[in-house]
Amino acid sequence: MDTSAKPFGLLAEFDNTTDVLHAAEKVRDAGFRKWDVYMPFPIHGMDRAMGLKNSKVGWFAFLGGLTGYATGMVMIWWMNAIDYPILIGGKPMFSPYGAFPPSYELTILFGAFGSLFGMLFLNRLPRLHHPLLKHKRFALATHDKFFVVIETADPKYSETETRKLLEAAGSTRIEMVVE
Amino acid sequence: MSQPNVSNPDDAKLLPPLDLSKWRKLPGQLMAIGGLVVLVGLIVSWRQPEEHSLKAFGYSWLLAFMFYLSLGLGGMFLVLVHHLFDAGWSVATRRFCEHLASLLFPWLAVLFVPVALLAPKLFGWMTVADPKADHALYAKLPLFTVVGFYVISAGCFGLWWLLANRLKYWSLRQDETGEALCTFKMRMHSCWGIWVFAFTLTLAAIMWMKGLQHQWFSTMYGVYYFAGSVWLTLATVYIITMVLDRQRILSQVLHEHQFYFLGTLLFAFTVFWAYVTFSQYFIIWNANIPEETFWYVIREQGSWFYIGMVIIFGHFFLPFLSLLRIDVKHTFPVMVPLCLWAWAMHFVDLSFNILPVYYDHGFPFHILWLPLGCLAFMGGLLAKVFLKEFAGAPPFPRKDPRLVEAMGLYHPVPTQISGGELDQADDMPDATIQPKGNQ
Repeated sequence: MDTSAKPFGLLAEFDNTTDVLHAAEKVRDAGFRKWDVYMPFPIHGMDRAMGLKNSKVGWFAFLGGLTGYATGMVMIWWMNAIDYPILIGGKPMFSPYGAFPPSYELTILFGAFGSLFGMLFLNRLPRLHHPLLKHKRFALATHDKFFVVIETADPKYSETETRKLLEAAGSTRIEMVVE
Repeated sequence: MSQPNVSNPDDAKLLPPLDLSKWRKLPGQLMAIGGLVVLVGLIVSWRQPEEHSLKAFGYSWLLAFMFYLSLGLGGMFLVLVHHLFDAGWSVATRRFCEHLASLLFPWLAVLFVPVALLAPKLFGWMTVADPKADHALYAKLPLFTVVGFYVISAGCFGLWWLLANRLKYWSLRQDETGEALCTFKMRMHSCWGIWVFAFTLTLAAIMWMKGLQHQWFSTMYGVYYFAGSVWLTLATVYIITMVLDRQRILSQVLHEHQFYFLGTLLFAFTVFWAYVTFSQYFIIWNANIPEETFWYVIREQGSWFYIGMVIIFGHFFLPFLSLLRIDVKHTFPVMVPLCLWAWAMHFVDLSFNILPVYYDHGFPFHILWLPLGCLAFMGGLLAKVFLKEFAGAPPFPRKDPRLVEAMGLYHPVPTQISGGELDQADDMPDATIQPKGNQ
């Protein structure tokens, strides 16, 4: 191991779902902010055990949708009633009914953009590399092991105390991961 | 466990049971007061001059009837989709939906009798002397004949009786025997039932509501009535589920997701209803043909225009924006007023469809007491029937094989077959070596 490498965080391995669920509750109650749990399949109740709030992606989708609807309405109004008015079938130059279907579709399109890019923004994606990926045992997170990772960047992090906490939570193996 | 950030729906279960003793007399009171109002309305509208005689009463009664028909059909739809999708979560709420569906026969059929008797007064096409001279009517023969009307009406109630009766029979039988056969039977009846349901509901909406102005046509009309009906029913089911949960009747078989699912369905049907309603309007507006637009022109006269606005904002925007957030769907202080609001809005929506035929200058505020009286009378009667049926059977399908899913106790266990690319871990120091199948 390159000793000059910066430490990334403590990787604690767990053998079963019960242990990792209770470990997550302990880490949550200890007030850590920069940490995560990795598991091969979704564990029911993990969101609550980690104290995760509802995702904020919905707000991006909502704002995207609102922008899309406004864009559609304003665009059609400006093009048909201001910039190049053509009278068709005696209908008004602009009507919200006629402009609704395209505006509605733009609502969906921009709403989808909002949720996709909002998700990428909140996830800090895309990123080319993550320190955990070069750790060999971490691959077992897709097989039969469960991991809790607490980053050294967390304000509550302390080399000895955090290690003790994870040991007390029943981790079978704790390692330092470097960047 | 302290969970400050996560709303805990289990807290609702800790609330004490409601004191319902004051409410027990309500159905009887509604029936008595409503019955009195109906009687007064009947006499008053009888004494009108010949061309108006009984019309005010007839349209009010039809409005109230179509309102409760929505509940019966909506309940039936929820039972049908439950079986068709082989759903687990809705087992807990299925039993009282079956009771709602069995209101269709005999009680809603009985309530249809005044409509059947007054039909020649309510449906202008019945008294057209020569159908061949009225092309809009001629094109709809033989459906729009007096015989056709009564045959279709009888056929609808007959099929609804058959379907509701079979679904309930096998459901109650499963309570006793616990046989898987009952589940298969209910599924089988749902398979033909959903088709029959779609056709009969569409026919009923066309014959009893759209037929009020037979010159008009809209292919969306059946779907429109369906969407509003299921919307109303979901709001009702939400309230019933909440009350039964609070009274500890369903608490054991509900888990935190049911209210969220019901709320999500209510949200979905809010959007679906708006989509159908707007499509109908938009296509007619866009085509701009007098044969179709007259229907909406009548509904823009006088106060009907503002009723239309109430529907746009009250039936769609308010519920839509309120239900957007995830947590609202299991927040009772928001959901209960919203569900009650859904009752008011469905009533306004049906008024907008039915009443302008007779009251073409604006919403008949001066005679609003009559439809409300009909609504109260029928509501009281049907509530009595519903409560009696509910008391006569277990409150949920107690031996349904999927009940355990509704309770949230069953989770599929991941196995080596169901997931995991085991090969990738072969070179790990402590990975279990998996025998390779064909080598």
